[in-house]
Amino acid sequence: MTERPRLFDKPALDRARARALAAAAPGADFLLARVGEDLVDRLSTVNRRFERALEIGSPTPALAASLVAAGRVGRVDRLDRLPQALGSGGIAGDPEALPLAEASVDLVVSALALQWVDDLPGALVQIRRALAPDGLFLAALIGGATLGELRTALTTAESELTGGASPRVFPFLDVRDGGALLQRAGFALPVADTETITVRYADLFALMRDLRAMGATNVLAARSRRPLPRAVLVRAAEIYAERFADPDGRIRARFEIVSLSGWAPSETQQKPLRPGSARASLADAVRQAGRSPQEG
Amino acid sequence: MAEIDRPASRIDPKLLEMLVCPLTKTTLDYDPERQELVSRAARLAYPIRDGIPIMLPEEARPIEEP
Repeated sequence: MTERPRLFDKPALDRARARALAAAAPGADFLLARVGEDLVDRLSTVNRRFERALEIGSPTPALAASLVAAGRVGRVDRLDRLPQALGSGGIAGDPEALPLAEASVDLVVSALALQWVDDLPGALVQIRRALAPDGLFLAALIGGATLGELRTALTTAESELTGGASPRVFPFLDVRDGGALLQRAGFALPVADTETITVRYADLFALMRDLRAMGATNVLAARSRRPLPRAVLVRAAEIYAERFADPDGRIRARFEIVSLSGWAPSETQQKPLRPGSARASLADAVRQAGRSPQEG
Repeated sequence: MAEIDRPASRIDPKLLEMLVCPLTKTTLDYDPERQELVSRAARLAYPIRDGIPIMLPEEARPIEEP
């Protein structure tokens, strides 16, 4: 395999997620729970049943269970890099090296996991290949506007106090790239949309505790190996409170959730007609539409 | 010690059907004795621990024979 520059330090990511799993802080999964509900809702609008499903990268069986409970899915297998996330059954694996046979599943679902892959286009291609024709891919990822306030506060504090700054919050997917990525990966009917969830905290330290509980600490390969000096954190907390607080003093943190969906191409799917193949004139349709209010 | 702890082939046959080598996407041979999934193409044996196939190349055992 060719060596490419790595964005994420996978062993560090595994350790951060394993720590978060072991701690199992109550309520730390609020984002995941919210996103999972949304994925199940999205699935319930699709009028068909999926016999074989794969769930990628959520730390608990909750999402897989609610997929089955919603009644549209037969069997769900789970895939995660951490065997301890799988409990009694599943596949320990990486979405960047997906160990699934071609056309072996009808549905792939992933909640808040795919932002941690180095090669998202490559992972999407592998997911599309694992899907049977007319199979569905539904995912939610952390998007680019996430934690913008934290990024600003940390970078400003660090450069004020140390004269330089290293990346502390990692770059996420831009929703504008989502649709194009799906299309490049060969998905039909690709859709990307975004939703912002604002969470309020007492201060920056409370926010950072929550991020640790989610296993979402800094795992950038290019991160500074030195921990943030206390003085920088304290200054960042001041900047955060000055710039991003509500009148009651609580601070705001934005999480952007990018949702992706696409279908493995199939002959039976709806497709755009070939240009020039229309049988009715648009001009006639417009004339008729324009007339109808007066006549009706 | 592992002989006693090792559960007799608890891996789900339906799961086995879905799996391929993550690197070469070729079929795997199941070795119930060693509890491994062998990729001849990648010359790697992926371990099965507690019924969970560990399909991570960095966890796999390199094998000699072609």
